Amino acid sequence: MKRAVTKSTLLWLLVLLIALLIPVVVENKFYMHTLILILFYAAVSGSWNILAGYAGQLSLGHAIFFGLGAYTSTLLFMNGGVSPWIGMCAALALCMLVGACIGYPCFRLKGPFFTLATLAFSEVIRLVASFWKELTNGAVGLNIPFQAGFSNLMFRGKEPYYYIALGVLCLVIAVTYWIDRSKMGAYLIAIRENEEAADALGIPITRYKLYAVLISSGLAGITGVFYAQYILFIEPEAMFNVNFSVQVALISIIGGMGTVAGPVLGAVLMIPLNELLRSAFSGLNGLNFFLYGIVLILVVSFIPNGILPTLRGWLSKKRANRHSQLTQAIPGTQKGGGQVDSAN
Amino acid sequence: MTQFAQVVISGILVGGIYALISMGLNLILGVVRIINFAHGEFLMIAMYISFLLYSTWGLDPYVSAPIVALALFVFGWLVHRVIIQPILDTSATVKIFATLGLSITLQNFALMMWNADYRTVQTAYQTTVIRMGEVAVSVPRLIAFLVAVLISLGLFLFLKYTLTGKAIRAVAMEKRAAALAGIPVKRIYLLAFGIGSGLVGLAGSLLMPIYYVFPTVGTLFVLTAFVVVVLGGMGSMFGAFLGGLLIGLVEALAGVWISPGLKEAVYFAIFILVLLFRPSGLFSLGKGSEEVGLK
Repeated sequence: MKRAVTKSTLLWLLVLLIALLIPVVVENKFYMHTLILILFYAAVSGSWNILAGYAGQLSLGHAIFFGLGAYTSTLLFMNGGVSPWIGMCAALALCMLVGACIGYPCFRLKGPFFTLATLAFSEVIRLVASFWKELTNGAVGLNIPFQAGFSNLMFRGKEPYYYIALGVLCLVIAVTYWIDRSKMGAYLIAIRENEEAADALGIPITRYKLYAVLISSGLAGITGVFYAQYILFIEPEAMFNVNFSVQVALISIIGGMGTVAGPVLGAVLMIPLNELLRSAFSGLNGLNFFLYGIVLILVVSFIPNGILPTLRGWLSKKRANRHSQLTQAIPGTQKGGGQVDSAN
Repeated sequence: MTQFAQVVISGILVGGIYALISMGLNLILGVVRIINFAHGEFLMIAMYISFLLYSTWGLDPYVSAPIVALALFVFGWLVHRVIIQPILDTSATVKIFATLGLSITLQNFALMMWNADYRTVQTAYQTTVIRMGEVAVSVPRLIAFLVAVLISLGLFLFLKYTLTGKAIRAVAMEKRAAALAGIPVKRIYLLAFGIGSGLVGLAGSLLMPIYYVFPTVGTLFVLTAFVVVVLGGMGSMFGAFLGGLLIGLVEALAGVWISPGLKEAVYFAIFILVLLFRPSGLFSLGKGSEEVGLK
């Protein structure tokens, strides 16, 4: 068990090292953009994964926090000249507050009804954002004036954005990793698997769901700030988009919900595919999402746990087979092990 | 006063179409216990079929309505057989995201086939109005409403008095007991999914003369249908019918009194309130019906 932990830590460090070195090698702007998108989507999806994958609350309103974060920092910057770095903290606080206000009443709803309620909240906020022209400039959107500089969180090249996205993703992964290893992770998974049983065991369900939504919405807010600073244009239609929420969910589902690395794997697989299809078939609008939809149906139908847990399942089965062969070959050895590291 | 009457009438007339879409969704939810997130895309497909029949053979949407309904019945049957049936015994996650996946697929299929243009049909009666005193009633809306009422009535009678209808209700109430009584549950599921889709096919035909079709048209209507279903009560056909009219009315009034830009926000707010405080709906079948669709 101890060895397995260090092994996975080593693997993470290796991936991080490669990720840090990539911009040194890659010069092409399109590739850099795709890489930034991968990091960004992995981070957003990772934040969704905490609420949906661990606590089992399938929200389709994640765009609320993403959009709210983007609008908070942008409005503070454009109206008050507040640095987006400070805006990021404001976004974090506001998103957590709104997350709690939406999550708390909705937690009474189960399964698809929770999903529907989050969907409705997302639509209400989109409509209000389009309507409240004095604040958000309505459907026209907001163009953030470009003033390069570290304190403005705007840069000429793509490398700084890459490293910031990587930093945000690392934060999301670290938080998820901590949840996964802590008592909280066990509680959340218990709630996801069987709420009544978790309640009967004395787990304070609502409090832990609330913790999950606080963390999840706060992190999503930060990714929203990054997005606004990278694209420099925000509008209600794009920021509070249900399709965005679906896409974010899809990445985690494909990679593996309720795992630390699932959202990263999902983003690494799906985002390049998406960008590739979009550039290769630019004349055929919709092909990328058409295939997304088909992949989603196939994945949930055939490997409902996602790619990562399925792969782990195979590996541990293989290992267990080898182990049982070994124990048969050497008489007197104890049975056991094999399954342990597949636990997460 | 005249304006008020005008708004009330046009709201209720549109509500008829909402009722038809919502009854389809509710039948599937009540019997198969699955929320079909692709229901709006079924409507979109129906509208495109209606449009294509009009543009290639000049068939009037009202004439082609039975064809469209039948096509959607078959489509729903196939979708249930191929996608839904294998995942019936899985978790809520799988069901939500399988139907969502279908929704994304169909939407973008339409985008590839017909691009994002708004398309509509030209008919002689499109702008015809009947004057009743000072209130003007649009003829295609009136027709849509009357057909919706007739079809709803037919559906009530079918479910209440025919053997198949009784079998459908039995399965909706208690699947296992129905199976023990010799009802072919799987076939009833297929039938319910087919009928639910057929209803939305009909709604698409009725909608074509008064609205446009474009790839994301379904999103607009399916969200309304979710609101109606929750408002009227999961599994209650009558609730869906009344809920449809009510939402049509609320939408029209909110458009006038509050702002056209916020009319959807108003009924979503109602939706959230109903979900939170009376999740079994206003006219639900009784206790526990909020659990429908969970398993």
